[in-house]
Amino acid sequence: MIDALVLVVLVAAGALAVFGVVGTIANRPPGAAIRLAVGGVVGLLALQAVIAVVRVFGGVTLPETTTFLIYLAVSVCVLPIATQFATAEPTRWGGAVIAVGAIATGVAVLRLQGLWAAGA
Amino acid sequence: MPEPARATSSGPGRVLIAVYGIFALSATARAGVQIVGKFDEAPLAYLLSALAGVVYILATVGLAGRGAGARRLAWGAVGFELVGVLVVGALTVFDTADFPDDTVWSGFGRGYGYVPLVLPLVGLWWLRRTRPR
Repeated sequence: MIDALVLVVLVAAGALAVFGVVGTIANRPPGAAIRLAVGGVVGLLALQAVIAVVRVFGGVTLPETTTFLIYLAVSVCVLPIATQFATAEPTRWGGAVIAVGAIATGVAVLRLQGLWAAGA
Repeated sequence: MPEPARATSSGPGRVLIAVYGIFALSATARAGVQIVGKFDEAPLAYLLSALAGVVYILATVGLAGRGAGARRLAWGAVGFELVGVLVVGALTVFDTADFPDDTVWSGFGRGYGYVPLVLPLVGLWWLRRTRPR
């Protein structure tokens, strides 16, 4: 984990949540723009996960490695699944579903940061 | 002719299912890690975590499904969830000895922003709103 990247990921996930909620309020089903935004956030999460895995297997010791790795996988997987579910029924509520996924992802990243700080 | 039941899995119901799905995933994963890694430390709390995870899974499946059977499953799971969070919440507030380690329902879901307390109420409201009549 890198503090600056954690911050960027959290801001990006927060912005995505706002984007989703705005779509719901504006009565717009999720379109190409929010898919692109999801792709960007997932890209950042994947980058963060790769860096973290490399550092964990490169010798950084954590108090709860298993939990950390599970959270890491969850942080990358939740948004693609949520987006799939959100766009399967194209209504205004799709944006709110993506927002829920983005918030859950943000919480997972915060827990990751907490576990990392406890070890490294 | 009675009006057919509206699907629980449509419209705003999908937001509810997304929240339930995330709780199903996180509660189950957490219980799994606790039971595999340190079961002896607090067996009751960890078994409770696992039970909560199963209840969230059943509620997610019930809400996402269609038909009378799925609706009954959702009623049962969400109702059990409400009882669970109230009972465990009360026990953890008044008697901390039996629950040395947190579960999803400890302190009425304090560790999860009280979402576990609000979620079953929203779930029951949604099931009532979409019921056949």
